[in-house]
Amino acid sequence: MPLSVKDLKELYRIMLLIRRFEETAFEKALQGAYANYHGGMGQEANPAGVCHGLRRTDMTMITHRGLGVPIARGVSVKDIFAGLYAKEPSPTRGRIPVYHMAEPSLGVLGGTSMVGSVIPLAVGSALATRLAGRDDVTISFFGDGAVNRGDFHEGVNLACVRKLPIVFFCENNFYAKSTPLAATTAGGSIVARAKSYGIPGERIDGNDVVGVHETVQIAIARARTGEGPTLIECETYRWTPHSTAGDREFARTEEELAQWKAKCPVMRLEKRLLKERHMTEEEIRTVDEGIKQEVAEAVAFAEAAPYAPADAAYENIYA
Amino acid sequence: MREITYREAITEAMAEEMRRDSKVVIMGEDVGDFGGLTGTTIGLIVEFGSDRVMDMPISECGFVGAAVGAALQGIRPIVELGLADVILVAMDQVVNTAAKMNYFYDGRSSVPAVFRIWTGFRRSGGPQQSQSNEAMFAHVPGLKVVMPSTPHDVKGLLKSAIRDNSPVIFCEPKGVYADKGPVPEEDYTVPLGEAKVAREGDDISVIALGAMVPKALAAADALAGERVSVEVVDPRTLRPLDGDALIASVRKTGRAVIVHEANTFGGFGGEIVALLADKAFHSLRAPIKRIGGKEAPVPVSPSMESAVVPGESNIVEALRELIAA
Repeated sequence: MPLSVKDLKELYRIMLLIRRFEETAFEKALQGAYANYHGGMGQEANPAGVCHGLRRTDMTMITHRGLGVPIARGVSVKDIFAGLYAKEPSPTRGRIPVYHMAEPSLGVLGGTSMVGSVIPLAVGSALATRLAGRDDVTISFFGDGAVNRGDFHEGVNLACVRKLPIVFFCENNFYAKSTPLAATTAGGSIVARAKSYGIPGERIDGNDVVGVHETVQIAIARARTGEGPTLIECETYRWTPHSTAGDREFARTEEELAQWKAKCPVMRLEKRLLKERHMTEEEIRTVDEGIKQEVAEAVAFAEAAPYAPADAAYENIYA
Repeated sequence: MREITYREAITEAMAEEMRRDSKVVIMGEDVGDFGGLTGTTIGLIVEFGSDRVMDMPISECGFVGAAVGAALQGIRPIVELGLADVILVAMDQVVNTAAKMNYFYDGRSSVPAVFRIWTGFRRSGGPQQSQSNEAMFAHVPGLKVVMPSTPHDVKGLLKSAIRDNSPVIFCEPKGVYADKGPVPEEDYTVPLGEAKVAREGDDISVIALGAMVPKALAAADALAGERVSVEVVDPRTLRPLDGDALIASVRKTGRAVIVHEANTFGGFGGEIVALLADKAFHSLRAPIKRIGGKEAPVPVSPSMESAVVPGESNIVEALRELIAA
């Protein structure tokens, strides 16, 4: 189904919300407000485009890169900032890094700190929906760094042999931590691996939110109707270093960053909305101001919130 | 009561739980038509079908991870790893993921999975097919660790493990697999976290794990002829450990020997020693002894293997030494 103007405006709003969140989350980490953040700035079209239109019961397995997916699925930035600050009112009262957070009621599956280990977990989610007789799908997000883990092969292979309802969505930002793709990944192509599993593979422009959404919709339809997995390689770029804990750059150049900033996914949709007269400059400013206020209030809330008492460490270790 | 083997008791426990709860599934290599390396899933695919008895690729990180992911959405996987050595391939998904997810999900989802591992010595298994690695898992908050020693206990404990909402590492010692014993045909469970006094005695406590329990009982028989009354305690669950039962036994007897198949250095026996030193110190009339495998990988050659493996004679020797002390 083609996207309506309302859809486009919603995609824009979500991308802008993620962008403003990412800007502030990165800045606060650099200021030392919390230990670390693996920013996802520049990659907003991926969570926004993938999550738009999902059923609440469809599952999305997140990665450590950015918090776009939880935001796109409806987790409040207030909760997330409280989590970044590891404060009491955050999802686990501050026990775990918020970028691994889970919110099952919104279809957000919790991640792990081991890059790539999320892939078999997502396959398990797809297996569970199949066993329960549901026609929900699971989207497995991961980065280019994860495709060289055995877990990528093991997870994709298992999903394919059992024809599970899953979409493997690789956000290729061309660097595994700080090492360039060519130095880590044989064969020169991630999407080419789809062929060896006998499933469709698509390589797409990851900064075009409409294209991301449309491609994923085709893969979701396949998964829902029992035709099995699809691998999507989505080319994009992060504007910030791998993490704020060691924010040095070796391979990435200013020129490369500038080229990708010129392809900003948020600006790209903004230009279209203006050109096609779906929104005015004034309307965009109003949306942005509302979002900036939401983010500022979330930060203020997180900063003012207390830490949980030490005893909270012992909660929920066992079920 | 009818008698069946440890192996048969495992199959019976799984079949009963799969009939009781459609969310219980089996995942593992060759668990379908072949019946699993341990032979414990023979016939189950016929009754429950290939959607619930799932043959997995030789891909332990993949299917252990998938079991955890499925468990988080309410499936109750029994994951058969076969040899205990093999679970080490999937240590990331067990320790980093399964053990931590209840914490990560803040109790809103958990990992009700059982990871079945075949531990310890079997004839000439060699260094990578003979390990008893229970202490590695007992070290991890978030995991439960069980090691039953009799057909009765394995059925009851496996049923409890399947019904438990936390991940359970279920250690099945090869040394007791063919043992026969009375097992009720009806539904019953043995609760996790409860030790059992396998034989009552007054002079000395042997705290034995898994396949060392029958050897400790045999040693107790031998010592009975020497007018020494040996109590044998089987913890059955390592985590949560029924510390009170172990402390009570040693407070009564004043002497303790701990015995397991795993090599002693860093083994689970050290944890029991620490507990007794802390809580039963004033009752002790002799130093605490530990018996375990020797500090070597387990060799294939029978001459070397039998030297490394602890046996009844090692226990008898330790008991005599302590009584004399």
